[in-house]
Amino acid sequence: MLNVTIKGLLAHKFRLAATALAVLLGVAFMAGTLVLTATIGATFDGLYADINAGTDVQVRSAQAVEGPVGDVRGPVDESVLPTVQGVDGVRVAEGGVGGYAQFVGKDGKAVGNPSQGAPTLGFSWGDDEALSPLRLASGSPPSGPDEVVADKATADKEGFALGDQVTVLTQSGSKQFTLSGITRFGNVDSPLGATLAIFELSTAQELFGFPDKFSQIAVAADEGISQQELADRITEVLPEGLEAVTGEDLTEEQQSQTREFLGFFNTFLTAFAVIALFVGVFLIYNTFSIIVAQRTKEMALLRALGASRRQVLTSVMVEAFVTGVVASVVGVVIGFGVAIVLRSALAGLGFDIPAEGLTIEPNAVVIPFLIGVVITVLSALFPARKASRIPPVAAMRDIAVDDSGQSVARIVAGAIITLLGLALTALGLFGSSDNGLAAVGGGLAVTFLGVAVLGPIIAPPVAAVVGTPMGWIRGISGHLARENAMRNPKRTSATAAALMIGVGVVACIIVLAATITTSVRGTVDKGFVGDFVVQSNAGFQGGLSPEVASALDQQPDLAIVAEFRSAPAQVNGSGTLVPAVDPTAFSQLADLEVIQGSLSDLEPAGTVAVSEDKLDDENWALGDTVEVIFPDTGPQQLKIVATYDKPELLGPGGSPYLIGLSTYDANSQVQLDSSVFVKLASGVSLEQGRAAIESVTDAYPNADVQTKQEFADAIVGQITQLVVLVYALLGLAIIIALIGIVNTLALSIFERTRELGLLRAVGMSRSQLRTSVRYEAVIIALLGTFLGLVLGLVFGVALVVALGDNGSADLTIPVSQLVVVVILAIIAGALSAILPARRASRLNILHAIQTE
Amino acid sequence: MTTTTTAPPSIAARAVDAYKIYGKGDTEVRALNGVTVDFPARAYTAIMGPSGSGKSTLMQCVAGLDSLTSGQVFIGDADLSSLSEKQLTLLRRDKIGFVFQSYNLVPTLTAGENITLPMDLAGRKPDQAWLDQIISTIGLGDRLHHRPSELSGGQQQRVAVARALASRPEIIFGDEPTGNLDSRSGVEILTFLREAVSELGQTVVMVTHDPNAAGYADQALFLADGQIVDRMEQPTADRVLDRMKQFGR
Repeated sequence: MLNVTIKGLLAHKFRLAATALAVLLGVAFMAGTLVLTATIGATFDGLYADINAGTDVQVRSAQAVEGPVGDVRGPVDESVLPTVQGVDGVRVAEGGVGGYAQFVGKDGKAVGNPSQGAPTLGFSWGDDEALSPLRLASGSPPSGPDEVVADKATADKEGFALGDQVTVLTQSGSKQFTLSGITRFGNVDSPLGATLAIFELSTAQELFGFPDKFSQIAVAADEGISQQELADRITEVLPEGLEAVTGEDLTEEQQSQTREFLGFFNTFLTAFAVIALFVGVFLIYNTFSIIVAQRTKEMALLRALGASRRQVLTSVMVEAFVTGVVASVVGVVIGFGVAIVLRSALAGLGFDIPAEGLTIEPNAVVIPFLIGVVITVLSALFPARKASRIPPVAAMRDIAVDDSGQSVARIVAGAIITLLGLALTALGLFGSSDNGLAAVGGGLAVTFLGVAVLGPIIAPPVAAVVGTPMGWIRGISGHLARENAMRNPKRTSATAAALMIGVGVVACIIVLAATITTSVRGTVDKGFVGDFVVQSNAGFQGGLSPEVASALDQQPDLAIVAEFRSAPAQVNGSGTLVPAVDPTAFSQLADLEVIQGSLSDLEPAGTVAVSEDKLDDENWALGDTVEVIFPDTGPQQLKIVATYDKPELLGPGGSPYLIGLSTYDANSQVQLDSSVFVKLASGVSLEQGRAAIESVTDAYPNADVQTKQEFADAIVGQITQLVVLVYALLGLAIIIALIGIVNTLALSIFERTRELGLLRAVGMSRSQLRTSVRYEAVIIALLGTFLGLVLGLVFGVALVVALGDNGSADLTIPVSQLVVVVILAIIAGALSAILPARRASRLNILHAIQTE
Repeated sequence: MTTTTTAPPSIAARAVDAYKIYGKGDTEVRALNGVTVDFPARAYTAIMGPSGSGKSTLMQCVAGLDSLTSGQVFIGDADLSSLSEKQLTLLRRDKIGFVFQSYNLVPTLTAGENITLPMDLAGRKPDQAWLDQIISTIGLGDRLHHRPSELSGGQQQRVAVARALASRPEIIFGDEPTGNLDSRSGVEILTFLREAVSELGQTVVMVTHDPNAAGYADQALFLADGQIVDRMEQPTADRVLDRMKQFGR
C-alpha cells in the first residue's frame, strides 16, 4: 500500500505543487520572521554586552519610568562620584551623560532621521578604556567646549575630516564644533546605524542640560573583587534614590527590554505568516478534495482489490504528510533567505545590522516546520476521510456530479460557527478582557471559517448573479464560464474563501484607515487654529531646541508661538508620554473644549489637566491630586485644575493628561520641543509667515515647517505608510489565494479534458476557450472578493464602533477604494487564469476526446 | 450559411493519397497507407473495417480533427492541409457536424443549448424553422431544458444528432454513434441519420464496426491495414457481415 502511495505522489507531483507552494510560502515567512528577530535580538545582546563589557557596577537613579523603548531614569548628582571612588575595591569610576545630538551634513541637511531610523545620540567622552566601547580611529578625544568626535560611519558618509567645522543640533541649540577625532564603537563603525556625537564631559553636561549631574556612573572593580560584592559595597554608601547594579544584571536587563520590544515586532510579522498559512489551509483542503474526487475510480479499484478503508485513508494522509514535510523543509531553508531579504530591507531603511550572519535558534526551525506539517496533514484529513468512504462499486460507475454541500447540516454548522466567530469578536471588541486583540483575531478567523463552511450554499447564487453579465458580454464563452463556476459549489467556494480572507482583512483596514484619516483631518481642521507647525521629526528621542521657539517668539510676523513637549512619566502604574504646553499660547491655537476649570490654571508648577473621560473613569474630581512619577524627580502630587473633551488633539492616540511647561521644567532635565505651533499676526500672508519661520529654522535642519494642511497630510501619510506596509505583508496571503485559483482551475481543466475536447471539436476556438477559463477565474475571484468585502466591512465598522467611544465616530467607507479592490480582483482573477487557460487551449483535441 | 447553394457539388469531401504514419523505422505504423476516396454529397457513407484498420483515423483526418502525414483532404473546395489551426476550427464549427460514440454533450448546458452550441460559438442566430423541424423530428421538444445528466443515453445521442444537423453543415461525421446504445435506441439514431440524408439532403459519413448500422448507408467502404480494400453500393447488413468475415480472423 505504501508503494501505491509513493507512486501516487510521484504521479500527482504537479498537482501537489500548488499545495506545497502554499505551505512553503507560509512556513518560509514564519521562519524568516523568527530568524530575523533572533538575529536582531542577538545583535542587540552583543551590543549591550560590548557596551557594558568593562563595567562591573553601574550607579544610577533607582527611579525608573517605563518609556517607549526601555526604562527612563533620572540623573545622578555629581557629588556622588567621589563617594563611589572612595569605596574599597573600585579601580576606577566615571560619570557620563547622554542625550540628543544630531549632526548637520555638509549639504545643510540633518544627518539621520530618528523618527524613522536609528537614533542620533550624544555622549560624553570617557577616559577609561574599560568603561567605554569607543575607540578612536583617528584624531584625539574631544577637549573643551568647541570640540566633537564623530562615529566613523557618519564621518565616512558625510565626508567629515579632522579639523572640519561641523554643526551639531542639541537641546541647547545649533552650534559649530571642530572635529577633533573619529571613533569606532567596539569593532563596528557605528552601533546599528546610530550617529554618535561625543563631547568632553563638562561640554556634554552643558549641552544636554545636566549641569552638575550624570546620567549614570560606571565603575570598574579592582582585580579579584566580584561584581556583586562591589555592588553591595557601593550600595552601602549611596544616598537614597540611587542604586548600584552589576554589569551582568545591567546587560541582562537591557537585553530583556530589547527582547520585549522585538516581541511586538515578531508578533506583528508572525500574524501575517499565520494569515498566509490559514489561507493555505483552504488551498490544501481543496487540492486534496479534488485529487480524491479525480481518483475515485482508482481508490474504488483498490477497495475492490481488498484494500481496507484504513489503508486508503492512510495512503492519502501519507501523501499529505510527505508533501507537508517536503514543503516545510524547503520553506524553512527559504525562510533563512527571507530573513536575509528582510534584513537588507532594514539596512535599506538605515539599520546597519552588523554582519554577524544569521542567528538560527532551534525554534526558528522547529516551530515553522511543525506548523507546516501539521497544517498540511490536518487540511487533508477531511478529503482523506472522504476517500476512505468511497465504496468499491464506484470503480464500475461513472464519476457522479458532485452535488453535495447543500445539506441542512451544512447550513446549521456554518451558521453556528459564523455566529460563534462573531460572538468571539464582539467579546474582544466590547468586553473588558485583557486579550481583546487576540479575541478579535480569533473571532475573525472563526467567522471566516464559518462563512467558508456556508460557502457551497452561498457560492451558486452569487456566481450566478456575478456570471450573468459575462454571458451578455461574451456570449457562450461567458455563459460556459458561469455554468462551470457553479457546477462544483464546494470547490468554487473553497477556492474563493481563500481569497475572501485576504480581501476581508484589506477591506477592514480600508475602513479603519479611512475613518482614522477622516478623524485626523476633522480634528486638525476643527481643533487646530494655528497656521504653521514646526515639526522636529523626533522619534523616541530628540526634538527641537527651545532656542527655536524663543527665536520664533522674536519674529514680529508671528503672533503666537506654542511649544509642545512630551515627558515620559508613570501614572496609575503604567508608563506614558505626558504632553506639556504653554497653556496660554496653546489654548489660543487648539480648542481642547475645556469642560471644568481653566487651562490657564496650568501655569503654576504642580498642576495637571485630565480628559473628562479619564476623570469619570477614575472617579476623580477637580481639585483632587494625581500621583505622577517623573524619572528625574520621582513621585509628584499634581493637582487637577481643568478637564477637557478633546484628548485626540494632543497627538496620535490622544492623551488623557496635560501639564504646563512650568510643571515640565520642574521635573525634567531634558529640554526639547517635539513641535512648535505658530499663528501668524493678522495681515501676514502664508508666504511671509513661512519666510519668517524659516529665517529661524534655517539653522535647524531637523525642523520641518508645515502648514496646517501639510501637518494633517503628514499624520495621514504616516497612517498610509503603515497601511501600505500591512497591504504588502497581506500580499503573501493574497498570492497564496491566487495560487489556489490557478490550482483549482488547472485541476478542473484536467478533469474536463473530454468536455474541452468536445467543445474544440464542435468549433470552439482557442481564444474562446481561454476567454471561458478566464471568466471562470474572474467569477471565482469576484465571489471571494464579494464575501471578503462583506465580512471586511462588517468587521471594519464593528472595530470603528468599538474604538470610537472617545468621540471619533467619523465612520468613513471609501467606496472608491473598495471599487479599486474589486477591479484588482478582476485583474488578479484574469491573471491567475493565464496558465490554466493556455493549458486548456493547447489540449490535443483527439487525445481529449479519446481520454477515458 | 448555405442558403445560396444552387447546385451543390456532387463531392462533399475527399481524401487524395492520404498517409498517416506514426513512429519511425521498426516501430513505424501506417494508420493510413495511401487512401484516395470521395464522399459523395447527399449520401450516407459507412466506413467499415476491423480494429486497427485505420477507419477512425481516416474519419478524424477528413473531419479536420487530425492532420495527415502526407496527402490532401478536401471539405468542399477547402484543402485542409492549407488551413491554419484557427481556420480549421471555424471550418469544423460552420461546415462539419459531429456525433461521437459517447460524451457528446457539454454537461453544464441544457439539451437546447447543446443543440445550438456551434451557432452560439459562431455568434449566429440559428434558423428557427429548421431548428424546430429537427427538434420535432428527433422528438425531444419537452426535454430541451434538461441537462444531459437528466437524459438517457439514447436521448443524449439524439441531442447530439440534432446538434450535428442544426447548423446545416456540409458534412456530418459519426464515430460509432450507436456504439454505446441499446439496439432500440441505436435503430432510432440510425433512422434519424438516414432521414437526414434522404429527406433533408444532408451528407453523413459514419465509422462503425456494426454491419446492421452499415445497412442504413448508401455505400460502405471497407478499410484494412490503412487501405481501402473494397466498396459496396446499397449495402445490407447480411452482405456487409459476409464481407467482414473475409477479413480473416
